[in-house]
Amino acid sequence: MNRMWKEFSKGLWLELPPFRLLLGLCPVLAVTKTAYNGFGMGCAVIFVLTLSNLIISLVRKIIPPKVRIVCFIVITASLVVTVELLMQAFTYPLYQELGIFVPLIVVNCLILGRAEAFASRNPVHLSVADALGMGFGFTLSLTFLGGIREIFGYGTFFGRPFMWAEFKPFTFMVEAPGAFICLAMCLAAMNFITTWQSKRF
Amino acid sequence: MREIIKMILVLSAICLVAGLLLGTVKQATLSRIEEQVLICVQGPALKNVLKDFDNNPIAERKKFKVDKTDTQVTVFPAISKGYLTGVAIEGFGKGYGGDIGVMVGFDLKKDELTGIGITTMKETPGIGTYISKNDFTDQFFEHPMGNLALKSQKGDIDAVSGATFSSKGAMDAVQKSVNIYSTIKPEILRAWKHME
Repeated sequence: MNRMWKEFSKGLWLELPPFRLLLGLCPVLAVTKTAYNGFGMGCAVIFVLTLSNLIISLVRKIIPPKVRIVCFIVITASLVVTVELLMQAFTYPLYQELGIFVPLIVVNCLILGRAEAFASRNPVHLSVADALGMGFGFTLSLTFLGGIREIFGYGTFFGRPFMWAEFKPFTFMVEAPGAFICLAMCLAAMNFITTWQSKRF
Repeated sequence: MREIIKMILVLSAICLVAGLLLGTVKQATLSRIEEQVLICVQGPALKNVLKDFDNNPIAERKKFKVDKTDTQVTVFPAISKGYLTGVAIEGFGKGYGGDIGVMVGFDLKKDELTGIGITTMKETPGIGTYISKNDFTDQFFEHPMGNLALKSQKGDIDAVSGATFSSKGAMDAVQKSVNIYSTIKPEILRAWKHME
């Protein structure tokens, strides 16, 4: 149980995927125009990552090492197409917003990275804990980044008015450069907190 | 040798399971996706091109076979107080970057257009995309069936400047819808209750 908590919680801060491992940056930069988009993307990733880690960890002993990457990709690709179809069926507007980035989850290095580095070497329960932790970390980061960009770029948060009435939105925050600058600020803040903490203890 | 056989077997098994799973999911979501696409892609255009209706054109849509061809078209009815007042038909034309889908509304009694709305397109942003703006689409509002062509082809529709190709594509799509409408009008009248 202790070990499971350790694997789960490392994804939330110590190895927070986009800000620490710098994995899966493509959707991080591209879809975080609003908090809702970031959250939706994160949920899709949680779904795919958890199931792919689960399945890969289940079959890890029968997969021949030479074709392991192909197997991982077939598994994640099927899961991603499943998500894509489900999204089209139940949350079509979100699907329209995320567009090409849903199918691109297949090549998201976070998924393949966790499959290769963790799920193919660890038992099922630890792999699921790892996937959930990483997935939640990813979702939180995307929602956070999307939230900041939405608040400054549109003056709303999850579609609701957030700033005072005379607030003039910085449209540049929801354009591509805004994503880079926001991400850089977050990285800087994370690094600052880490150094500060290590000095204290 | 044994290793190779094992590789082939494992990979085939995984692919087989993946294929079965995907087939099932696709089957299960097929009708729902079709409906969602209609609501989210065609829905907004439908509201603009149909006038006075109190029904749900998407839910009451019907498919018709066009005579002498194998194509099927979906017709969206506008029903007011129980009587069919107009229909909308989507037509497609070749644009600069793929097909342009145009929803065209028809007034049944006057046999004229009630407007058009672009549903799908991949035109150049800022140039070709202006075909979806009111400056272009408003020209079709209450436009009679005849004379439907760009000015360069002796019609009376102004093309979007700088986007002749996109305008032509949209025009083609409108003309296709008009042709379909004229062909299947008797069947449409049979399918819904309408005022004589």
